[in-house]
Amino acid sequence: MMDKETLDQINGEYVFPANAGPAWRAAAKYGFDMSLVEESLKLTPEQRLAEHQQVLDFLIEVQTAGQTHGTK
Amino acid sequence: MAQNNQALLTRLRTSGLEFVIIGGVSVVYHGAPMATFDLDICCAFGEQNVRRIETAVSDLHPVHRLTPQQLPLAATQSSFASLKNLYLQTDLGKLDCLGAVAGVGDFAAVRSQSSLADFSYGQFYVLNLDALIAAKSAVGREKDMEAVRLLRAIKEKREQSKAQS
Repeated sequence: MMDKETLDQINGEYVFPANAGPAWRAAAKYGFDMSLVEESLKLTPEQRLAEHQQVLDFLIEVQTAGQTHGTK
Repeated sequence: MAQNNQALLTRLRTSGLEFVIIGGVSVVYHGAPMATFDLDICCAFGEQNVRRIETAVSDLHPVHRLTPQQLPLAATQSSFASLKNLYLQTDLGKLDCLGAVAGVGDFAAVRSQSSLADFSYGQFYVLNLDALIAAKSAVGREKDMEAVRLLRAIKEKREQSKAQS
């Protein structure tokens, strides 16, 4: 059985990077999912834009589905 | 690899998992133009459903993305029965599975406050607008409250449209 700390992380507890400064902590407190920011920063700018486009394409379809269900 | 929510949703459905789309994707569904870079779903937890999720993503190198060591999902099988949420990084993007939604309740409550939506690749349950507002309000962080302001405006407009028709 794994330790409680690991189990808490699996269940969603965000672990701040060791070098997390006040701005990073403030952004997390505001509500940003900083784990997503960490992942984004691992990508090249070109990869980020490609991901952004793919996500936008998906969200446009989601928005269209919402409109056809009378959520206008 | 870039986030591919369509592929993730299709895989989850094929696995036999019953789930509801929540989070940012449901916000967009209801008309708010807000970007989101992960896929959040709510499902009942328990060993059988976690195994369904594992089946859906087993060939996508799934890891628990919030563990600093990026623990592989397969390496935590002995704890499947005790999990309440899953935050995964896969080859098709980030997939967050929650056992409950703050302000709404467990999966049964979430499911009862969701509606079936038609996508080009199938039908999926999406959290209803009122439940989404309750969920975001319950979390209460500044970012969530920004979404609440917009969702309330959308709800108001929708009610006005209904009253006029």
